[in-house]
Amino acid sequence: MQETLLHVSKVYKSYGKNTVPSLDGVDFTVSRGEIVGIFGPNGAGKTTLISILCSILDPTLGSVTYHLNGEKSPREIRSSLGFVPQDFSFFPELTAKQNLSYFGNLYDLKKDELAQKIDELLQKVGLFHVKNQKVSTFSGGMKRRLNLIISLLHNPSILFLDEPTVGVDVQSKIAIMSLLQELNRQGTTIIYTSHHLKEAEEFCNQIILIDHGKIIANNTLTNLLEKHEVSNLEDLILKLTGTLLRD
Amino acid sequence: MKKLKASVWKEILLVLHDKVGLLLMYLMPLLLVFIITIVQNSAFQIVNENKLTVLISNQDKGSLGDSLVKALVQSGSFEIRKKDRLSEAAVKRTTIDEDAMLGIYIPSDFSEKMAGNADNISKLMLEQMGVIEKAPKTTPRKQEISIYFDPVVQENFRISVINGIQSITNGIENEEMVSKLFQEMGYDSIPATIRQAIVNRETKLKIANASLNEVAELIPNSSQHNVPAWSIFAMFFMVISLGGNIVKERLSGSFLRLQTIPGGFALTLISKFLVYLFVALSQLLLLFMMGIYIFPYLGLPKLAMPNAFLPFMVVTLLSAVSAISYAVLVGTYAKTQEQANGFGAISIIIFAAIGGIWVPNFVMPDYMQTIGNISPLKWCLEGYYILFLKNGAWGELIGTISFLFLFTVICQLLIFIKLRIQNYL
Repeated sequence: MQETLLHVSKVYKSYGKNTVPSLDGVDFTVSRGEIVGIFGPNGAGKTTLISILCSILDPTLGSVTYHLNGEKSPREIRSSLGFVPQDFSFFPELTAKQNLSYFGNLYDLKKDELAQKIDELLQKVGLFHVKNQKVSTFSGGMKRRLNLIISLLHNPSILFLDEPTVGVDVQSKIAIMSLLQELNRQGTTIIYTSHHLKEAEEFCNQIILIDHGKIIANNTLTNLLEKHEVSNLEDLILKLTGTLLRD
Repeated sequence: MKKLKASVWKEILLVLHDKVGLLLMYLMPLLLVFIITIVQNSAFQIVNENKLTVLISNQDKGSLGDSLVKALVQSGSFEIRKKDRLSEAAVKRTTIDEDAMLGIYIPSDFSEKMAGNADNISKLMLEQMGVIEKAPKTTPRKQEISIYFDPVVQENFRISVINGIQSITNGIENEEMVSKLFQEMGYDSIPATIRQAIVNRETKLKIANASLNEVAELIPNSSQHNVPAWSIFAMFFMVISLGGNIVKERLSGSFLRLQTIPGGFALTLISKFLVYLFVALSQLLLLFMMGIYIFPYLGLPKLAMPNAFLPFMVVTLLSAVSAISYAVLVGTYAKTQEQANGFGAISIIIFAAIGGIWVPNFVMPDYMQTIGNISPLKWCLEGYYILFLKNGAWGELIGTISFLFLFTVICQLLIFIKLRIQNYL
């Protein structure tokens, strides 16, 4: 039996008294070493859910518990989690190396260890040769790769990615996905959202489908396809959430 | 400490890369302090140092008109241009053409009327004293002179010039009156001892600037207003750089990432505070050095530093901390960078205007001085006035220190509330 890493219990999130809740009683567990894909239409509550799991937001009701050396809240495991936001969250005026060095120091990494880690990650995503260039001169794919490796400097146990491959070319996508698979093989649990459903089919062990703030499906891809008698993830999402356009 | 060092270094790099911000923070105040000081210094000199150009047409057939002109020359305040051919209407026209501040027309019967009045009064006095039996009944004919001001001359300045001329004509009239008295009593003219006594009778006015310190007595000048004023303005104008920087980082998502790093967000705020504190102090240092070392070479008054070092440091640090707190507040509440820049710049310009940065607060109407009390820039400047011009002690600085402390606390509290609501802290 796999060891539970994360337990989300009856999480409810509302941004105001008279507003429709973004999350409405979300319940699920994630085992250590899993790759979990959270999918759903725009405005379904995916980003809010990830924000709560990363301690960026607090739930209005319910609880999020991590099982990392005992039961811990999201705030208590901050140093063990990595977060890759959808937006480029670095400083374009600085070089790639300056950005990595700044965030690495905030994670309190030792000088030698940090220097080695920076070079290693830059090599892995093909940015080593431009490490001293200002990030503002980078292409979208290069920025996306840098955005990812900043979150990997401190070897997180659990990695959250919000649309990590949005707007990148196929080469950058392959580089990013390969790195994520390598990290997972080394034991990192990955929770991610994406609109690239083909990529997700190959990548995820567990699929969570969310709509109107509620979980409408949560299982392995094979089990879900079998249960709902569809052939791929796209058909599954359309079958469960409909074709109506969302805001 | 390592985290703080890295965070401070990142902020330094960001400030160095912000070329527009650097120009606004350092070059703009330098230019402003030069331009405004030079302009205001000329105005100060017009009023305080230069002689006023006066156009005079003396048509008087007697000698008292000449006495008036001579007295005006001797006062040392006027540069006299005699144009005796001009009629009264021509004086009115020519004053502006000749670039004079005022024109004076002395009519042909000036001496006659003044002598007649003096004679009349002296006879009435002799009658009262029983020296003569009955003074002849005459109707007084007041002597007149006409003064035409350049329309740009302000009212308070006109009044002081009128008072000066009135004082000179009164002196001439008094002398004429005493002279008539002596003539009635059989003297040819006023005895020299009496004439000297009349000259010496005026009350001696010992004029000096008020000061709390007996040692130093500073005279306010354009440098002592402008250097601290524009240093304060520069500190507060960092709202463009710092406020915009905060909004940009928040919108770009780097704040989100910092939220997931233990202590990352608080460290970022602390390092921004430290770096911009250095910026504010360096702005002040730069402008003050300019006032001390460069101004004298440009013919501007040298900035005399206050003796009280500790109060000076306290006022400077409080001013800088208030400016940073305001910039962070604007950056925290603004939704876009444009909003932060626009609101930040306009609010500082308004605070500067009502706070006496451009025109000293004490020359404003009472209601504007009252409104000015809401401006943090006013209180910062007030602190420097007390230090520079009054050599103030701690007691004098209580108002400034209290306001700036309260202003900072309120800003920090509002920042904390907003960041807490947004779950950053």
